Amino acid sequence: MIRFILVQNRQGKTRLEKWYGGYTEQERQKLKAEVHRTVASRDQKHQSNFVEFHNNRIVYRRYAGLFFCFCIDTNDNELSCLEAIHLFVEVLDAYHGNVCELDLVFNFYWVYAVLDEMFLAGEIQETSRSVILARMDQLGNLE
Amino acid sequence: MFEKTLSDLIQGLRANKRNEAEYIQRSLEEIQREVQQSDMRCKSAAVDKLNYLHMLGYDMNWASFNVVEVMASPRFGEKRTGYLAAAQSFNQETDVLMLVTNLIRKDLAAPSAMEVGLALDGLAQTATAELAADLFDDVLAVLGHPRACVRKKAVVCLYRLVQRHPEGLPALVPQLKERLDDPDPSVVSAAVGVVCELARTDPRSYLPLAPKLYHLLTTLTNNWILIKIVNLFAALAPIEPRLARKLHGPLSRLVTTTSAMSLLYECIHTAVVGDVIGVPLPVPDAIGRETDFAELCAQKLEVFYQSRDHNLRYVGLVTLARLQARRPDLVAGQYATVLACLDDPDLSIRMRAIEVVAAMTTRKTLVGTVNHIVAQLARSSTVALHPAGPAALMAAGSAPAAAEGDLPQTDAHGTSLVSAQGAIAAPKRDCADPADSPEYRLAAVEAIAGMCSRESYGNMVDFEWYVATLADLVYVAGVDVDRLLSERLLDVTVRVRQVRRFSVAVARRLLADARLAGRAAADGANAATLATAAYILGEYCPLLPAEPDDATLLLLPPGLASLSDDQQAVFVQAAAKAYTNWLRDVAGDWSADAWEAVRSVTASIQRTLAQIFFPDGAAGTSGDAVARLAAGLPLQAGCRLRQLAEIIKTVSVATSNLGDAAPPVCAELHALFTMYELNPVSAAAQGKVPVPEGLDLDAPIGDPIPDTSHKVLPPPPPPPPPAAAAQLHQRGSRHDRGSGDRAAHRARENDPFYLGGAAHGAARELPDVDDIPVMALDLGDKPRSSGGGGGGSKKAKKAKKKHRRDRPRTPSPPPPAVDIAGDEDVPEAPPA
Repeated sequence: MIRFILVQNRQGKTRLEKWYGGYTEQERQKLKAEVHRTVASRDQKHQSNFVEFHNNRIVYRRYAGLFFCFCIDTNDNELSCLEAIHLFVEVLDAYHGNVCELDLVFNFYWVYAVLDEMFLAGEIQETSRSVILARMDQLGNLE
Repeated sequence: MFEKTLSDLIQGLRANKRNEAEYIQRSLEEIQREVQQSDMRCKSAAVDKLNYLHMLGYDMNWASFNVVEVMASPRFGEKRTGYLAAAQSFNQETDVLMLVTNLIRKDLAAPSAMEVGLALDGLAQTATAELAADLFDDVLAVLGHPRACVRKKAVVCLYRLVQRHPEGLPALVPQLKERLDDPDPSVVSAAVGVVCELARTDPRSYLPLAPKLYHLLTTLTNNWILIKIVNLFAALAPIEPRLARKLHGPLSRLVTTTSAMSLLYECIHTAVVGDVIGVPLPVPDAIGRETDFAELCAQKLEVFYQSRDHNLRYVGLVTLARLQARRPDLVAGQYATVLACLDDPDLSIRMRAIEVVAAMTTRKTLVGTVNHIVAQLARSSTVALHPAGPAALMAAGSAPAAAEGDLPQTDAHGTSLVSAQGAIAAPKRDCADPADSPEYRLAAVEAIAGMCSRESYGNMVDFEWYVATLADLVYVAGVDVDRLLSERLLDVTVRVRQVRRFSVAVARRLLADARLAGRAAADGANAATLATAAYILGEYCPLLPAEPDDATLLLLPPGLASLSDDQQAVFVQAAAKAYTNWLRDVAGDWSADAWEAVRSVTASIQRTLAQIFFPDGAAGTSGDAVARLAAGLPLQAGCRLRQLAEIIKTVSVATSNLGDAAPPVCAELHALFTMYELNPVSAAAQGKVPVPEGLDLDAPIGDPIPDTSHKVLPPPPPPPPPAAAAQLHQRGSRHDRGSGDRAAHRARENDPFYLGGAAHGAARELPDVDDIPVMALDLGDKPRSSGGGGGGSKKAKKAKKKHRRDRPRTPSPPPPAVDIAGDEDVPEAPPA
């Protein structure tokens, strides 16, 4: 199960956060700071994308200036989580067209909508890119 | 008035980077005004902005009611905003959640699939126990919705609801089963995922689903679903052995044919964890040869942890650790590779590698592995201490001269020499050296200790090297492994007779290191290790080569008074042993100078003791004065100090007259400590000692201490004779607790604040208030504590202390224990 999803930039500002599991406000703030500290200091070339974090693992990937961090249980498959992150970024890219950090900032509710299409209640829900994009179009038409 | 839209807000934020806080304050005030307005569009724009600010860390809980209003809007966009805000900011305690029940129910029944989907999304995020209970059936009904995307969301949402409302589980499971047959693959995938999560906590109930899942495993080709199913079987297979046989076929096919690393990893992981590799069916591998499944897995696994991709290495090592537990033979050949992983710059990889290596060391590889790790720890730049002496700490028989200021090297024995000078130049690294991290160091030291002492030192060949390594670790560890190291040191010294001589020498060197002692006095670091070293030195000092004796003075370092009570006791006791040992040596070799020697050494010990414990010069150096003031020290240290003072007094008296022969007392004193050999005792042994006939451990020793819960202090009970006092100390604290408990118990009975509580044991006497004579006691500045049950026993303790200081020094009855919680004999009165 995914515990939480965080997208942060290199300075530690959170661009996207989704918490699956009962975290209080203070816990959230603390976790955000901790995740940033842990992930930002790692070296991409020499270190893996998995970090042990409290009793879970953080699977993260860096795209341009953004860190996409997923916190999963220890018995989840980390490699498939990595693939899920990549799929998410691909979908965002296909939807916005060459998405950059500013897009995430200005259209954050779209990003949340995509996120909700793909992950729900801590599980990977939908893995087919075409299906997700079709639904996003539908949602867009409703607006 | 122009309200700012979300984009305006963001642009404004970016434009006002300097005074961001002010700008946000202003915006927050605007938003506050906007949400109160009745125009839904305005409200929802405000909530949008609030959402954004919430992500930056600003609280938006004050607007929860407005969020609910926006959620109720008929327009989809606004509704979406409201749901998002709810999902982001509502938590379990938000009150307005009660208002949304009907709202969500309405949305769940909405004709538009989008709205249903939206409601399901929001519900999944914000579900509380009440919401879950109320809406469970509604969501169950949605499971039959014609649109696949809605069904899929409903399945996952139900999982979240069931977490909060477990009573819904029996209704959910059959529905889940049906969903597994759903024509749409994403619904199936969602259902499998939910079953996976549920089965983690209770695998047995989901075993009936196994045949269906097996069918899915063999027919589906979507990798994501396959990974989930294989993962699920990893949870199921350990409880159902026949599953392993059935899984063998599809898993081996997947392992040989798939090209997706994640799926391959999952299959191997399941094969290992579910013991599918134990199934003895042959499997054709890539080139058509028939091979054992386990070997096939091991081969494929090699690809993982030998790859250059760190991710693959990490997952490979995780599975290798599991494989190691089941098939150590397959892993044994990989020793060199895993050792190389110990040097990986990634901390997680190193931690995994340590786990694997610790389990797979053999007699031959043990020394190499441990040296490797110790060298790593020593090289790292956060090494806490460096040994001060010129000789290397571990001279295993050889006496190498330490290279000064060099990087550590290893000599012929494989022991590493740590530099005698200051900081070791650490090689520059781009990323943080994982050996610096305290977790790694702790894991490394624990792994070393575990590896070496496994199977009662089954793998150990050279014990002296082991003791030397332990001593090295004291310097090099950098984390607080004090207790672990001291236990191990003691363990090996006591159990292995042959290494005692070396061990004593090492202990002596540790104690002689002024820096270690200084640090122990300053902040207690390594104090336990030094205490253990003191014990070893004291206990086995006859094994030391006879030399000008400084063992006794070593055992009385200047910083002794700042250690903890029992550590001080260890040091003083060891000093007594060393002193009497030296005396015995001198007595055997008596000469005219011996008198002087004995007298001067005795005097210097007295001086040292006085300096350590009474630095303000309060004591004279006479034995009596020391002993008297020792009464003011904490219990154990004071007791040992009195003992040592008595010994010194005896010796002084015996040597006060010059004679030709050594006074017999000098030769005999050491026998006090060597009458019985101390062997390691099992933890349960004490309980097996039969209580001798006629011994009643619960009988009070002296007169019971009268109840002191009244304001007036009664006269103190008469002290028992001194002989009994000595016995008291030896028999330990059981008796003390007995009488003390009784007193406190009685105090509690008479205490008006305690309800009920039957008294236990002896007849109680409630002292009549008028009978107690009023004594004028000079209490001076002592504050009186009043009321409460604790006050009674505290008073008794204070009274005891007061009396101890005033009366002439006779052994006083032990103070009543204030804390009775741990004692099993006396049932406690239930608290008010």
